[in-house]
Amino acid sequence: MAVIPPYLNKGDTIGIVCPAGFMPYEKAETCINVLQTWGYRVKVGKTLGNQHYYFSGTDKERLEDLQEMLDDDNIKAILFGRGGYGVGRIIDDINFKKFKKKPKWLIGYSDITVLHSHIYSRYKVASIHSPMAAAFNEGEYNNEYVQSLRKALKGVKAKYTCDIHQYNNRGTATGELVGGNLSLLANLVGTPSDINTKGKILFMEDIGEYIYNVDRMLYQLRRSGKFNSLAGLIIGGFTDMKDTTIPFGTDVYDAINNIVRDYNFPVCFNFPVSHSKENYALKVGVEYTLTVKNKKVTLQEL
Amino acid sequence: MLLHAQLLLYIFTVPKQLMNRKGFLRTFVSTSAALFLANKSWAFNNEETGFCPVPCYLKAGDTVGITCPAGNVDLLKIQSCIDALKRWGLNVKLGKTVGTQWQRFAGTDDERLSDFQEMLNDESIHAIIFGKGGYGSMRIIDKINWDSFRKKPKWLVGYSDLTIVHAHIHANMRIPTIHGHMSTGFSADPTDLSSVTLQQALFGEKIEYKISSFPTNRKGQASGILVGGNLSLLHAASGSKSDISTGGKILFIEDVSEYKYNIDRMMMSLKRSGKLENLKGLIVGGFTATKENFEEPFNVPVEEIILEKVKEYNYPVCFHFPAGHMKENRALKFGVAYDFQVGDTEVVLNEKLHISSLNDFRAIANN
Repeated sequence: MAVIPPYLNKGDTIGIVCPAGFMPYEKAETCINVLQTWGYRVKVGKTLGNQHYYFSGTDKERLEDLQEMLDDDNIKAILFGRGGYGVGRIIDDINFKKFKKKPKWLIGYSDITVLHSHIYSRYKVASIHSPMAAAFNEGEYNNEYVQSLRKALKGVKAKYTCDIHQYNNRGTATGELVGGNLSLLANLVGTPSDINTKGKILFMEDIGEYIYNVDRMLYQLRRSGKFNSLAGLIIGGFTDMKDTTIPFGTDVYDAINNIVRDYNFPVCFNFPVSHSKENYALKVGVEYTLTVKNKKVTLQEL
Repeated sequence: MLLHAQLLLYIFTVPKQLMNRKGFLRTFVSTSAALFLANKSWAFNNEETGFCPVPCYLKAGDTVGITCPAGNVDLLKIQSCIDALKRWGLNVKLGKTVGTQWQRFAGTDDERLSDFQEMLNDESIHAIIFGKGGYGSMRIIDKINWDSFRKKPKWLVGYSDLTIVHAHIHANMRIPTIHGHMSTGFSADPTDLSSVTLQQALFGEKIEYKISSFPTNRKGQASGILVGGNLSLLHAASGSKSDISTGGKILFIEDVSEYKYNIDRMMMSLKRSGKLENLKGLIVGGFTATKENFEEPFNVPVEEIILEKVKEYNYPVCFHFPAGHMKENRALKFGVAYDFQVGDTEVVLNEKLHISSLNDFRAIANN
C-alpha cells in the first residue's frame, strides 16, 4: 500500500495552485469559500489568476508556486485549480525531498494525472483524483461528486456503485488503484512518471479526443504492457468524442471493448470518473476491491 | 567469404584508426564474419550480379506491391502511382486491400494483416509501397511474421501511420526502409520531387539533398543513421517493441493537424524518455495544418516549441525540411548513415557510404 498522507482536520490549510493552464481568480472563488465552510483554511498560490500565454505563469513561476506549497508544513493538502496542459513541463524540476518526508494530499484530475502517476511511481505516495476548483461553481459543490472529495479529505472510506454496462466483464479484483486521463497515461509511457500496472486496478477517462486516437492510445498502453497482469480495469467517461470525416465506424466504448474484452480481469464501463460532473474522488495508490456482477458494480475502498 | 554490405553502412562507427590501416579489409572481413554470426538479419542477398546491398535496389522488370495496412484506398486514387511505377519500368501487383473498406480501414485487421504478410513473403515482389496512412498499422504490426523479410528484405515505402513499420523494423531488424510518398500521394506530374526522389531512392541513386537554411536552424554538422517519422506515431511507439533508440542517430520528425499544445506535450514526452539527449542531429520536416484552441491559444511557433526542448544540446537542427505531409515529400532512407550539415544559407543531407554496386564497395574498402 502506498503512503497515505494524513487526513485533514478542521482548521487545516488547503493550498490552491495552478500548475498548468491559466485560471481566472473568479473561477476559484466559490471553491475557496466552500472549503472554508467545510472548516478549512485556504492559502491561494500566486499562479491562481496569473497568466503567461496559455499557462498560469512561466514554467519557473508555476514550479516555484507548487514547490512552495509542497514544502510548506502548514499546508496539509493542495487542491489544483485546473488542469489543461503544463505539469509535464515542470515535473522533473520539482524537489520532492520534503514531500517524501511529510506527504500531503494532492488533489485534481486531467493534466494532474502527471502528478498522480509521478508521486505514486517514484515515491509511493497516495493522492486524490477528483474534481477541482471549477467543479464547485454554480452550486455544484453540493453534488455527490464534490461531496465525495469532502469525505475523502476526512478519511471516510469510499464505497461507490455504478450502473451496469453491456460490455462489463464480470469478476472481482483487489489492488491499488492507479490511472487518470488516458491521453496523459499514454504520454507518460517511457518517462520517469510511467506507472507499473501489475496487480493494480487501472482507471481511465478522457475528453474531446478522436475515437481513432482513443483506439491508438489504448493500443499504445496494451503494447507497452499496461494490460498484462492487471487486476481490474475501470473505464470512466469518454466525453465530447470527435470523429473523422470517414467515421471510425464504432462508438468509443465499442472501440475500447474490442481491445479489452479478451482479458480475464474484471472490466467496468461507464464508471463515474470523467471530465463531466460525474467524477467521484478516487485515491490513487490506495487499495480497493472492484466487484463487477450481473446486476451491480461496486468499488470499495479498503 | 561472405561480405556484409549492410555492415558498411555502420562503418562510420568503426574507429578512424581501423579505417586507415592497411589491414582494414582483413579486419573488416573478420569482423563481419563475427557480426554475421551475431546477427543473421544482416544476411546478404546474392542476386545474379553477385552483390546486393540490403534491401536490393530495384531494376527494370522488378515488381512493386501495393498493400494497405491502414486507411482505405480507392483504386482510382492510386492510378497516378501505378502509371509512375510502370513508367519506371516496374510491374505492379495490387494487394487485396486496395479498394477494400471496413470502417475507416482498408479491410478488417485480419484482412490487412494477411495482405501485408503475403506481400512480405512473396519473393517475386521486390518492394512494397503502402497504400495510405490514416490509422491502422499499429493494430496489426505485432502479428506480422518477419522471417521471410529478414531472409530477403525488400524496400518498404511509406510515412505517417506507417512510421510504426519504420520504427519496428529499425528497432528489431536494422533493415533500411524508405520514408516517402505512398500510393495515393503520387501526382500526375512526373517531375514532382516526391516521385522523382522516390524513384532515385528505389533504384539506388545516392541521396544528396541541399535546401535553404532557415534563421531558426541551429548550425553544425554531424553524421549518423537517420531514423524517425511521424511524431504522433513515434510517441505512440513508446514502451513497445517498436520503440526506437535514438542515441547517436539523426532524428527526423514531422506531423500534421496537431494542436500546438499537443506537439509540446509529445516533444516533452520524447525528451523525458531520453530520446532527444544523445542525438547527432534533428531534422524537422513539415508540421502542417497545426491547430490552435481558439479559447485558449497556445500561441508559440512550432520552431520555438521544438528548439526549447533541445536547447541544452549542441547538435545541428534544421526546420522546414521538405518531407512529411506536404506536396514535396522527399524520399528519405531510414536506417542508413548520412552527413548532415546546417549552415547559414544551406542545409545539406548526403547519404554516407552509399553502396549500390560492387565497385562502390571496392572503392570504400580500398580507400
